[in-house]
Amino acid sequence: MTSAKFRPRDVGPMVLVLAFVFVSIAPLLWMALAAFKPTADIIAIPPVWIPDFTYLQNFQDVLTQFWPFIVNSLIATVGATILALVLAVPTAFALVNHRFRGREALADWILSTRMMPPIAAAVPLFVIFRGAGLLDSLPGLIIAYAGFNLPFAVWMTMSFVRRVPKELIEAARLEGCTWWQVLTGVVLPLSKSGLAAVATFVFIFAWNEFMLALFLTTREAKTFPVVISSFIGTGRVYWEYIAAASVIQCLPPVLFTFFMQKHIVSGVTMGAVKD
Amino acid sequence: MANIAMRAGAPQEAPRRAFIHSDRFQRTAFIAPTCIFLALLTIWPFIYSVYLSLHAVKLTAMKRAVFVGANNYINLLSDPLFLRAMVNTGMLAVTSITCEIVIAFVIAKAFVSLSHLKWLNGLRSLFMLPMMVTPLIVGMIFSYVFNPVLGIANYLLGGVGLGPVPWFGDTTAAMISILLINIWQWTPFMMLLIMAGLLSIRSDLYEAARVDGAKWHHVLTLLEIPSIKGIVLLGVILRIIDTLRFFDVVYVTTRGGPGDSTMVLTLYAYQQNFQFFQAGVGSAAAVIILVISMVITTFAVRLLRRIEND
Repeated sequence: MTSAKFRPRDVGPMVLVLAFVFVSIAPLLWMALAAFKPTADIIAIPPVWIPDFTYLQNFQDVLTQFWPFIVNSLIATVGATILALVLAVPTAFALVNHRFRGREALADWILSTRMMPPIAAAVPLFVIFRGAGLLDSLPGLIIAYAGFNLPFAVWMTMSFVRRVPKELIEAARLEGCTWWQVLTGVVLPLSKSGLAAVATFVFIFAWNEFMLALFLTTREAKTFPVVISSFIGTGRVYWEYIAAASVIQCLPPVLFTFFMQKHIVSGVTMGAVKD
Repeated sequence: MANIAMRAGAPQEAPRRAFIHSDRFQRTAFIAPTCIFLALLTIWPFIYSVYLSLHAVKLTAMKRAVFVGANNYINLLSDPLFLRAMVNTGMLAVTSITCEIVIAFVIAKAFVSLSHLKWLNGLRSLFMLPMMVTPLIVGMIFSYVFNPVLGIANYLLGGVGLGPVPWFGDTTAAMISILLINIWQWTPFMMLLIMAGLLSIRSDLYEAARVDGAKWHHVLTLLEIPSIKGIVLLGVILRIIDTLRFFDVVYVTTRGGPGDSTMVLTLYAYQQNFQFFQAGVGSAAAVIILVISMVITTFAVRLLRRIEND
């Protein structure tokens, strides 16, 4: 059939790779299993290895009590993804296709803002948000998340826009299209899958965010991670909530990893490595 | 613009349309919103943080700021907790990144040598999971796994006659646990980069090396390391930047404790600002973190440009 045969000298590498995969997923699986156990089984030693998967009480409890915060997370994340892309796509397009002085410097500056640690902007952000009434509000979170993901979105979109053949763009220009028409008519349709990858990445980054939400929200706009962090504290630790909430919280990134795996290397290196 | 105003008569439409369709206008319209947004989010906060860092000011009473010069910086640099945070962050960066590279290289080599087994590729998404799942949840998972009473780690170690390990309960162990979590979470990242680098080496180069009778360490130092150097350096820079903003995992597992043993820079600045409301000291810490990342960033940008232009 194929040349894909297992050779004797593959045993060593195979053991190594399988051990690595096991170590990588075992802690995740262990938490996922706990989500299907009643509290007594979660904390039992010796452990209860295989739970009864029809026991869904933990999920039901978490969803009925905390669903508004999951909705908050979704709104903040989707809103930020849309806002970041709306701003990033035209910018990336112009930075790739227009020749003007300072173009590279501008692109570099945008990239360098990606490196800024959010804590450095924390107090100023908090103060403006307080002044503008954006504290503890979803629009506030959307603005913050979109902003912190904008450099990444611009830079990665640039790597996809660059792949659109220059001849197509020139031809469209010769026919008298405006740059806007070139963008919407030529570049967008050709880089759809790339843009989907950028959008998914921004979604995951915003979805996984915790620190900004921790000080920008207090009650109404709390995101799901902030709520989850309160399950562990000085008093009783709500392991059954933590386990079920962890599964819910990790569902989008895990699905994303399975469906978009070929874009991940390019995504985590901001497009420096091509997929 | 003056041009348009002067011709405010009948043929006004034409020049305005020409202006709107001009390259310069369209380009500005494409780029300006992003730049303004980013400036508001980076340049302005930087200036404001520097301003705050020179004042004694409470987050709860911002109007009553008193100028204190470099006092906050002086206090910060004589605060053992801040120095501890600096040392811990630096140590975490050096140790975890080194371990990540070594482990990642070995596993990447193993993976590449098995690349004729197509089904193995399906495993890629499995080992990528640690770096993709929510970092806060990573902290939660290890609070559970490393729990001294109900954790499975000590149970399994007990089964082979080891332990119990105090994990987060003792100053040395806590730092090592944090380090292990970091390595667990980020080795896959390094491995993906190294694999991309290794797979870009043309197979005839390996062939040539074999024909020339090169030993494995020749292949390693003369072929493999030069080929992956750039991409690994990029990975190192991104990981240093990550370590500077490392927060979520320590926030849920140790909160910087026991004592000051796992205090890191971002957690320190966060606590000063939002738990003790010391916006002056907290901003000074934030400025220091920012300066460190700016130095690293200049390298990063140059490097990314070079890779991009290759």
